[in-house]
Amino acid sequence: MELGTSLVARQYAATRDATAPDPGTGRGLAGMAQDFATTLQQGEAAAMGAMTGRADPHAMVQALAQTELAVETAVTIRNKVVEAYQEILRMPV
Amino acid sequence: MTEFSDAMSAAASGMRAQATRLRHVSENIANADTPGYRRKTVSFDAQVVQGRDTGAVETGPVRLDRTALARVHDPAHPLADADGFYDGSNVDLMVEVADAREASRSYEANLKMFDQVRQMSSALMDLLRK
Repeated sequence: MELGTSLVARQYAATRDATAPDPGTGRGLAGMAQDFATTLQQGEAAAMGAMTGRADPHAMVQALAQTELAVETAVTIRNKVVEAYQEILRMPV
Repeated sequence: MTEFSDAMSAAASGMRAQATRLRHVSENIANADTPGYRRKTVSFDAQVVQGRDTGAVETGPVRLDRTALARVHDPAHPLADADGFYDGSNVDLMVEVADAREASRSYEANLKMFDQVRQMSSALMDLLRK
């Protein structure tokens, strides 16, 4: 069976909607990134405050532990995303 | 993540409260021989922010112990009255040491909880790794 160019173009146009990026999925990730940045800034502020004697050591330890967990989470998720992307790239076409 | 961070801030508030308590205990011990000194006590209250209970603890205002001051007999003392007595402090070293020990144990418990929460959160993220 011979496929005409126009038929292929029409099929492609019909399936393009399915592969289009969903604008909704990015919002949750953007919020998480915002939270991550806020946690990181709080950790840095607490560390600087403790070094200059303004914050108490408990606040510094708490902020740094939370920053550590946030960074760990972000790195783990990034590794997972990169891994998934490479898995897609390895797909035989 | 919010459960873990709430648990961490509760544990940190407990450590802060016990540190405040220990500070007042050491002030009491330092002033055990100060004439007229009344021992300081501090109360613990559940922290409420904007009408909501945060689950954390905070220390209330410092109160002075109202028990009678010790009458010390020392006629050579500058503050001694006609009978040779003066008002000492009402600090009992035994009570203060017991209080300090209790604060220390409670601090350790909070520290353990803090570490536990950190380990749990870390173990959760370990699941995603290979």
